Amino acid sequence: MKRSTGFLAWFMDPKRRGPMLIAPAITVLLLVNIIPLMWSFGLSFFKYRANTLKLPKFSWFYSYEKVLTKDNIWESLQTTAIIVAGSVGMQMVLGFLLALLFASQFPLRKILLMFVLAPMMLSNVAVAIYFKLFYEPEFGLLSQFVQSFITGEMYVLLSTPAGALIGVIFADAWQWTPFVMLLVLAGLVSVPKHLYEAAEIDRMSWWRKFTTITFPYVRSLLLLAVLFRTIETVKIFDLVFILTNGGPGTATETIGVLVYRTAFQFFRTSNSAAMGYILLFAVIVLTSLYLYVIKQRESEEI
Amino acid sequence: MLNLTKKILLAFLASIIFSIGVSKTVSAKTVEIIMAAPDWPPTRFMQEYFNSSFPQEGDTEIKLTLDFIPWDNFYTNVAASLTSGEQKYSMIVSDSQWLGAFIEGGYFQKLNKYIDADPELQAIFDDMHQGYKEGYTTYPYKSENYYGFPQFPDNYVNFYRTDIFCNPDENAAFRAKYGKKLPCTYADWEIVVWDDIFDINEFLTRKKGEMMAGKPLEDDMFGVTYQAGKAYDFSSMQINGFFWQFGGDIWREDQQPDAQAIGVVNSDINVEALTKYLDLLATMHPSHKTGGMGIFEMQALYLEGKIASMINWVGLGAPVVDPNLSKVNDITGYARQPGTMQDDGTISRWANLGGQPFVLTTWMTDEEIEASFKIIKWWLSYDVQIEAVKAGGQSCMKSIIYSDGYNALAPWNAAYVASMDWQKDVWHIPEFFELLTQQQEEFDKAITGQQDARTTLDNIAEFQQELLEEVDRIQ
Repeated sequence: MKRSTGFLAWFMDPKRRGPMLIAPAITVLLLVNIIPLMWSFGLSFFKYRANTLKLPKFSWFYSYEKVLTKDNIWESLQTTAIIVAGSVGMQMVLGFLLALLFASQFPLRKILLMFVLAPMMLSNVAVAIYFKLFYEPEFGLLSQFVQSFITGEMYVLLSTPAGALIGVIFADAWQWTPFVMLLVLAGLVSVPKHLYEAAEIDRMSWWRKFTTITFPYVRSLLLLAVLFRTIETVKIFDLVFILTNGGPGTATETIGVLVYRTAFQFFRTSNSAAMGYILLFAVIVLTSLYLYVIKQRESEEI
Repeated sequence: MLNLTKKILLAFLASIIFSIGVSKTVSAKTVEIIMAAPDWPPTRFMQEYFNSSFPQEGDTEIKLTLDFIPWDNFYTNVAASLTSGEQKYSMIVSDSQWLGAFIEGGYFQKLNKYIDADPELQAIFDDMHQGYKEGYTTYPYKSENYYGFPQFPDNYVNFYRTDIFCNPDENAAFRAKYGKKLPCTYADWEIVVWDDIFDINEFLTRKKGEMMAGKPLEDDMFGVTYQAGKAYDFSSMQINGFFWQFGGDIWREDQQPDAQAIGVVNSDINVEALTKYLDLLATMHPSHKTGGMGIFEMQALYLEGKIASMINWVGLGAPVVDPNLSKVNDITGYARQPGTMQDDGTISRWANLGGQPFVLTTWMTDEEIEASFKIIKWWLSYDVQIEAVKAGGQSCMKSIIYSDGYNALAPWNAAYVASMDWQKDVWHIPEFFELLTQQQEEFDKAITGQQDARTTLDNIAEFQQELLEEVDRIQ
């Protein structure tokens, strides 16, 4: 058999076949991800506005200092924290309860499960528009209900900072509770049946079964859900932007909305890059914290 | 010798090559102008009328394609397109306040040399209403650097329900309660000031089932409504008018670097003006409490017959008279918006200029520039402007607006023309969107009851002073 020579042989050499095969993927990753990321990181150390012809001017940590000394970033971080705490908390509780419900067998379970899962399949924009109409004071279902059965007056939920926050939290939780439910359900169905049978023989209470059998099996999945949903909710943008536009005033202006405004409405490119990296830093801290907690638990169990 | 099959194949190939050649020749002589445009009736009309009526001359076919973008996202979409460098648009319908941002960015083309070299363009320029020319074309504002031509000039008018305001029983009841006439005709509205709106709104705010103009109401009813939205400029436009009518001002870019923000923006007069705006708002439809009473939301309420009157842009007039869209198409009257009584007994009616110019981008080829000027001349020609006005548009060409019969072309024309001399424009500087957004947020806090007028204007003035000092516009 004739051995192939030249470029083909060089290319097919087992030593470099692996790297060559993943080279296209690495190239795409570099072009669309790593280089823009590095570029924006570099820009955060310059003074630059993308809508002017002025060249970027190196300014060390000026953008970071500017961003961190402004009140609006701290206000938006607080707002984001409230939304994260409210929404993720609600998703965990409701998601867990729904998972417990769907772990058991009952008539029409599969059809109901399909309906319950539907919100997380929808696009964020569709959910935001749906809730904007739902909360609308003139013809929205919420206002119609309050007007017809409670006060007799139009109900304007989004007119106060607290109302607007509740509106955003509820909409986000409505969309993502099924995701938590799905994760927890996966844990619940994996619990070996013989454990429950043994618990029955021991006449354990429902609560005892829950804390000693059910919860330990779903704990790691629940923590995973908390991590995923926290990271996603920290970045929340489209729902807030469409539903409240950050208002009333700046009451629901999350860090994602603030970064968007700074970058694409004010064209403070360097400042927005600095904000983006502060946000990235916050997410990395949260992730590390999660991994630390997981590791600690694993070492305790060993 | 070639057999029959080969002959057929060759003939087929030859026909394909010929057709490609022909289509290449045609496409080489087509110049396409893609124009970014807000999605609303005046721009929709332009596209339709161009397609049906633009006179193609010579060998070159000019194709105009408007890229319609919803108003709420219009600025950010255009800004993203320009700054990304995609060079998609040859022409852009630009709000006047964007001029500075995109001229400084190198995206909008200065037109002076083309105007100087072309008597037809000079004639168009000379024919433009002065206030609109300054607003739509100049940067720096009121300078002699020209960048645009009017695509759609606009200002506020008052749309009101004649079946309510002209109802004899309602009039009698209003007179009995307040000792004055409920305004019905254009002349009646000419003497209405903002203080009168308190009485009108109190009188016309009624619950579903109550009687109004001899009929039981199908929904809750409210009186006069104006803009109070958080998005874009949907409160600033109305509030700026209040400042000017009361004798106050916004930061004056034409007086930089001496003009200050602190002391002007938060002057006592402006606080009084904003307080009046907020007090009146409390008597209007409660949707404003969401910060969502934008121009389209208000229009929707009016078309559904849920408010008795709205102060809105003329550009939104066409749907009002369309029986397919409007329950009030044949029962709407038009007047100037109310004003503020001055010490000398006159009424001040200053308002924020609306409407948009269209501009040329800097990457156009000579062929595209030539085609664009043909479109501009066609659009601003007498006959086309008249057709645009008949379709619900407007003109700011003096030869047209002051011509006989102009006011009869559309029911709101008299109010529009009478308001033209009372227009001022907001800032044109590149930082306008930052100024506008912060101002909108602060106004929204006041509109939704989170803070009073004084705090609102102090916050705005402080922000503007700091920003404008940072970019060396204030010394």
